Amino acid sequence: MSAKRFLGLAIALPLALALAACVSVLGFPRGGTSHPFEHRAHVDKGINCVVCHEGVERAGDTGPLHLPSDAQCRGCHTKPHDEGSCRGCHGEASMREGAGLAREHLRFEHAKHDPVVHGDCVRCHSAVAESRPQTLLPKMATCFGCHEHQESWNSRSCDSCHVDLAAEDTPPAGHLVHDGDWIREHGVRAGSERDLCSSCHSERSCAKCHGVGMVPTLPAKMAFDDVPLAGLHRAGFRSRHALEARADPGLCTTCHSESSCVECHTASNVSPERTTRSPHRVGWVSTGRGGGEHGVQARIDPMSCAGCHGGAGEQLCVGCHSVGGPGGSPHGPGFTSTKAKTHDLPCRLCHGTGS
Amino acid sequence: MLAALGASLWGSRSQADPLRLRGDALVDTQAETQSPTGLVVLQGEDKLRPWLGVEGLVWAGSKAGPTGDVLVLALHVREPHGYGEVAVGRFVVATGAIFPVLIDGAEVLGRAPWGSTLEAFGGAPAVPRFGARAYDWLAGARLAQHVATFATVGVSYMQRREDGDVSNEEVGADFAAAPAPWLDLAAKGAYDLTSPGIADGRISATARAAAFRFEVFGSEQSPGRLLPATSLFSVLGDFPSEMIGGTVRWAAAPRLDVLASGAGQLVGAELGMNAWIRSTLRLDEKGKASIGIELRRVDVSLARWTGFRAVGTQPLGRGFRLSSEIEIAVPDDPNGRGIAWPWGLLALAWRSNGWEVAAATEAASTPEYRYEVNALARLSRTLEIR
Repeated sequence: MSAKRFLGLAIALPLALALAACVSVLGFPRGGTSHPFEHRAHVDKGINCVVCHEGVERAGDTGPLHLPSDAQCRGCHTKPHDEGSCRGCHGEASMREGAGLAREHLRFEHAKHDPVVHGDCVRCHSAVAESRPQTLLPKMATCFGCHEHQESWNSRSCDSCHVDLAAEDTPPAGHLVHDGDWIREHGVRAGSERDLCSSCHSERSCAKCHGVGMVPTLPAKMAFDDVPLAGLHRAGFRSRHALEARADPGLCTTCHSESSCVECHTASNVSPERTTRSPHRVGWVSTGRGGGEHGVQARIDPMSCAGCHGGAGEQLCVGCHSVGGPGGSPHGPGFTSTKAKTHDLPCRLCHGTGS
Repeated sequence: MLAALGASLWGSRSQADPLRLRGDALVDTQAETQSPTGLVVLQGEDKLRPWLGVEGLVWAGSKAGPTGDVLVLALHVREPHGYGEVAVGRFVVATGAIFPVLIDGAEVLGRAPWGSTLEAFGGAPAVPRFGARAYDWLAGARLAQHVATFATVGVSYMQRREDGDVSNEEVGADFAAAPAPWLDLAAKGAYDLTSPGIADGRISATARAAAFRFEVFGSEQSPGRLLPATSLFSVLGDFPSEMIGGTVRWAAAPRLDVLASGAGQLVGAELGMNAWIRSTLRLDEKGKASIGIELRRVDVSLARWTGFRAVGTQPLGRGFRLSSEIEIAVPDDPNGRGIAWPWGLLALAWRSNGWEVAAATEAASTPEYRYEVNALARLSRTLEIR
């Protein structure tokens, strides 16, 4: 073997192994002992579903799943090629688990449906005709083929089919999927459909983030052993929260009041009363025209200012910007307000008769 | 509400949905935190009848003395045919263009057969630790209409007062539509009546095609108008923050998802951008074992930084699971606070028969501390009583 060919083999072999590993890890279908049950072959031979799924046509909302036992299989397959359990290879555990979950979380009775479809199970379980079905459970759209759903949808009445979506935390997999950057997206989506959200989500799921000032700890901190990539306050958020706030002015206000910022900053000694070290850059406040950088930055991100100087700390601003003060008017161009200048807060702080 | 809770607990459980309870106890050694020491969170939910539900979430702990609060305590009554709903107690009000507010009050919702929905709510904004209130209240309503089975439009109004002074008064409009199975549209906007102008506007359009999902989004926010109008920082004038961008999700392989997002921003007069890409690889069919990485770049106004994050979780068998997470944030302008802020966590959890026990060590170098090591532990119990 020449050195060139050896080198080629030395490179190609690990590459092929790596590729094979990738195919396996990435989940592409591969040969294995377990595979979907051969429903199609049985249907083609004209075997009625209830021959194997004995009694399923009389099944109610509870009880067994009516999956065939090994003994039932061997009733026809009298000379099995293997002494192991038929289910070990013929049929996938995930499908059986899916059937179990459906039994637990859906209100459904085969006994009511069988007479309507005259024993034609394939009318709902159409996937049995596929060679490698992902699931045999009918999609919701199949239900809607007979059951008028619009009224239930409009009145957000999911309970007639779903046991308890909100409490069981079992959102339907086939629709309303929270995909993409859902943390950012959910606000605009929920705006028009809040009552739809509440058909799956309890009050607690909103309050855990939006319960301003009451949330005892971050949801991410509470579930520290669950490590998804998504989430506003994941990982070292405390280190970068000031940068995050500046990058999207107004975002923090969605959940946090200025008092919640002040309370935390005061407790952490990051407030004008607790520290002598200014976090601001040189030139932040100057006596020249414009008063330095602080004026512009305060208009861009007033919540950041309020995070330390809110509440009683506002007096720091009033000291310079009250009417006749050296700081001049803090209002930007075009500022208007319907408030009474000498009466309402915060106007009276600067425009009040005593100022 | 207590009567309903009593009735709920008193009634026969045999034919009802189960009473669901969960308790969590969290211990965290982190010195600077808002969390109380020895935090205990108790939550429960019951639905004795299809039209009657109660839920609660309370917590307690110690922070320079005993402390605690009620986060949710709400009673829901629903007209059996779905024509009306009433919620009473402490809960989050969020509808239409109205920002979420936790209130002690009531919300009534009515649906008409022709697709109209009217919501009205009122109460007092919740105050932490049952603090005192002085003429703080809010009230509002939203009227919505379903259009041609695939769209909803709504208009809303809300007024909130603090100590008698108007802190928020706004009108809003919202819209959502799914004109095709692969297309979703949504938009909402709030107009401030105290300092007239757009307080917040958002738009999102998503489309799905094969292994891809695309989203185009845009937003305009006026931070001064989002602050309560009683704050001095709300009177500085209008420097809106505008953003337009897109997100794409690609199911690159059966177990590999890639999500990327990028947006241009206009903050004041400055142009900026933020972008990130994250990828998750599930190591088994159910995703119980997985690894994920994220790269992020933010370059907006005074916020300029680059970040990297990686997460991994692996079941160990017998109910045990090992999880880890690391992050490195590198600010462009460290300003003497360290050139990089690394953070890492290693957690071990065990779950069996409604019990969960988890412990973790967290280590970081932060802008405040050269190094910081914390320990966390959580004990959880979930119960269903029939």
